[in-house]
Amino acid sequence: MIRWLLLLLVWACMVPAQAQTPDVLRISQAEAVRADWHSSAAPSQGWVQVPLADQWQTRWPDHDGVVWYRLRWQQGDANQPTGLLLDYTCMAAAVYLNGSLIDRDASLVEPLSRSWHVPRYYLLQSPLLRQGDNELLVRVSGLAAYQPSLGVVDVGDPQTLQARYRQEVFVRHDLQVLDSAIGLVLAAVIGMFWLLRRKESMYGWYALSAVFGRLYDSNFFASSPWPFSTTDGWQAFIGACYVAGAVAHTVFLLRFCERRWPRMELILLGIAMLVMAGALLWPQWMGPNRNIYLVPTIAFLYVVSFTFMAYALRSGRRDYQVLALCIILPIAVSLHDLGVYMGWYGGVSYLGSFTSPLMLLGMGFVLAYRFANTMQRVEGFNAELRHEVQQATTQLADTLQQQHALALSHSRAGERLQLVRDLHDGFGGTLVGAIARLEQAPEDMPRQQVIGVLREMRDDLRLVIDSTAREQADLAELLIPLRHRASSLLEAADIQAHWHLHDIHGVELGATRSLDLLRLLQEGLTNVFKHSRAKRVDVYLRRQGDQLQVHIDDDGVGLMQSTDEQTAARAGAGLASMRLRARRLGGELQVSPATNGAGTRLALVLSVP
Amino acid sequence: MELSSILIIDDDAASLARLARLVAELPANRAPQINTAADLVEARTLLQAHHFDLALVDMQLPDGTGIDLIGWMQQHMPQLQAVIVSAFAEEEAIFAALRAGAVGYLLKDRDDIELTVALRSLQRGGAPIDPMIARRILALLPATQLPVAVPPAANVHLSERELGILAHVAQGYGNREIAELLGLSRLTIEAHTRNIYRKLAVGSRTAAVYEARAMGLLP
Repeated sequence: MIRWLLLLLVWACMVPAQAQTPDVLRISQAEAVRADWHSSAAPSQGWVQVPLADQWQTRWPDHDGVVWYRLRWQQGDANQPTGLLLDYTCMAAAVYLNGSLIDRDASLVEPLSRSWHVPRYYLLQSPLLRQGDNELLVRVSGLAAYQPSLGVVDVGDPQTLQARYRQEVFVRHDLQVLDSAIGLVLAAVIGMFWLLRRKESMYGWYALSAVFGRLYDSNFFASSPWPFSTTDGWQAFIGACYVAGAVAHTVFLLRFCERRWPRMELILLGIAMLVMAGALLWPQWMGPNRNIYLVPTIAFLYVVSFTFMAYALRSGRRDYQVLALCIILPIAVSLHDLGVYMGWYGGVSYLGSFTSPLMLLGMGFVLAYRFANTMQRVEGFNAELRHEVQQATTQLADTLQQQHALALSHSRAGERLQLVRDLHDGFGGTLVGAIARLEQAPEDMPRQQVIGVLREMRDDLRLVIDSTAREQADLAELLIPLRHRASSLLEAADIQAHWHLHDIHGVELGATRSLDLLRLLQEGLTNVFKHSRAKRVDVYLRRQGDQLQVHIDDDGVGLMQSTDEQTAARAGAGLASMRLRARRLGGELQVSPATNGAGTRLALVLSVP
Repeated sequence: MELSSILIIDDDAASLARLARLVAELPANRAPQINTAADLVEARTLLQAHHFDLALVDMQLPDGTGIDLIGWMQQHMPQLQAVIVSAFAEEEAIFAALRAGAVGYLLKDRDDIELTVALRSLQRGGAPIDPMIARRILALLPATQLPVAVPPAANVHLSERELGILAHVAQGYGNREIAELLGLSRLTIEAHTRNIYRKLAVGSRTAAVYEARAMGLLP
């Protein structure tokens, strides 16, 4: 890239210096004569003297066809190899030396070969070259609308001229091809960027402008008007490409500056499409009159470029400034080309736009810059996001905690309510019953009986507490306090208690039924303790399917056989209470003599869920 | 163990009278010396003036808690056996008292016969226990002693036998049943229980005070 820039600079400096070198003769005078498209030999009449380089449309404004140029020079030693360099011939040409054809373009009639920009070099020697007078004939086929011309001709030291020729080919052809290739690759890369990210339309516009620009550039190295059948067709198309490229470039710059001017963009796009349509439909008019739309377009492009540069300078944004810098040199180059095109000064070397490498750098920087910026933003965003997520999490946690606290207090309130209900249902009933019993009791009720009622109430309260204080309502768990207490009481009375629990883990009867069952067991065991005079009691709780079998077997005197009337009456009252509970549990209490004949069996079967 | 001199501390006169009666009715070679106190100050004065074999300490006293007094007794007269007397449903407090050094507990809501059984057990050098307390002790043990992972709350280390007894009590088994199942005498079981209580107190005297404070039982 830098090498190219340096080369360009060196070359630009050499332009004025190359005019004359000692061993080279510049032929700057010639004779010219018009002829028709198919002229095969120079006419003998009508020659006029012309200076070189000559553009014949200034002399013969409507002449499309052939002009023969005749140049003469004196050669010293014909055996000395001599170089001949034709700067350019516009468009196609055939070259004769001393009557012999030494060069001919592929097509000398429409579609004309495009050699307008091509230098020609020949190494001459005897016998073609003569000692003394030599005559060079250049037959140029051209169109008045496209600057038909013959450039300067140099004769002399072949090494000097060949070097100059190679340099010209390198600059006018090789560099242009290179430039186009780079430009197209860049367009493809940026275009892919756009394809994958349509939102960033600036890249799409850049790719479009680059494609049109490179199509325009092909004018500098295309050797025929193909695929067009006429020079008009080619020129009109190239001109339209220039307009389209300029419009796309303008929209690209707007997008680059994050601007959107829909009306103006629409107008510009309309113009570009009109020009393109016109070029394809009426090339015979659009070609010759291309200055009508090209010159305003060039001017517009300058305005756009300078405006952008001013804007970039003021914006203070690094990417804007870098792109503006990348545009400065192309503008200078295009000013030079404009001068060549308009014929303001004698040169013919269009620099075209050796802009692609520079634009590659510029766009590369822009992409990298924006990518870095975006990444920075993304990283910042990540941090921000993390912060916000944290905040949201904290908030959520707070909310959840509040909800949890609320739910907890609700459930506590519910538990309290349940406890009150259990107390009311469980102990309240006992209390009411006790009050009723004491009310109906005779005035002189023995103290022991009153205490007995109170004790029953206390035991009942203990049961209520034990059964509600439990976290699990599992029957096996609920039985633990009763079993422990009954066991120690019975032990104190020297009654052996044997508990037989089968499959009752996981049996849940619900609070009320559990309490009823515990009361029933407690009353049954109390009866054994108080009245049976038994030595042993066996308590069975067995689950079978959806049934729970409950037995209390003792080996005492038996409830029915009790001789003590008072005891029997009290036991009978206890039995009535147990029957009531059994019925509430959904079963029937069976009282029978124990299986071995002595003692009593209380049996109950209830359903379990 | 001969209980020749007993101090009963309770602010409720009826309850005091009942306990005194039950103690007096215990079979003994000679009638025990029974002193009573209604609050902590009186109790401390008596304790410093006389020698006692056993102190029955009510949980709630006008000028403090029984746990307070048990802690104090542990410091000043560790040979004295302290038994906490609790009203209805005071599991937490009973447990705290055991951790503070009580060697047993009596429940006021029990029948005379049950209290008598407990007192006789104490007299024999045993101690009563019920499923709730057994459960609390089991929950306190370090994870290494139990198959389930429980955070080691204290450096209490019980023997396998003691653990077996606790597990059965926690399931509601009576002493006779446990004795049959483990092949021990009932007396041995009660002695084991008292040992468990001792270990509980030794295991964490400071922890007991801390727990009692946390429960609002100590100022």
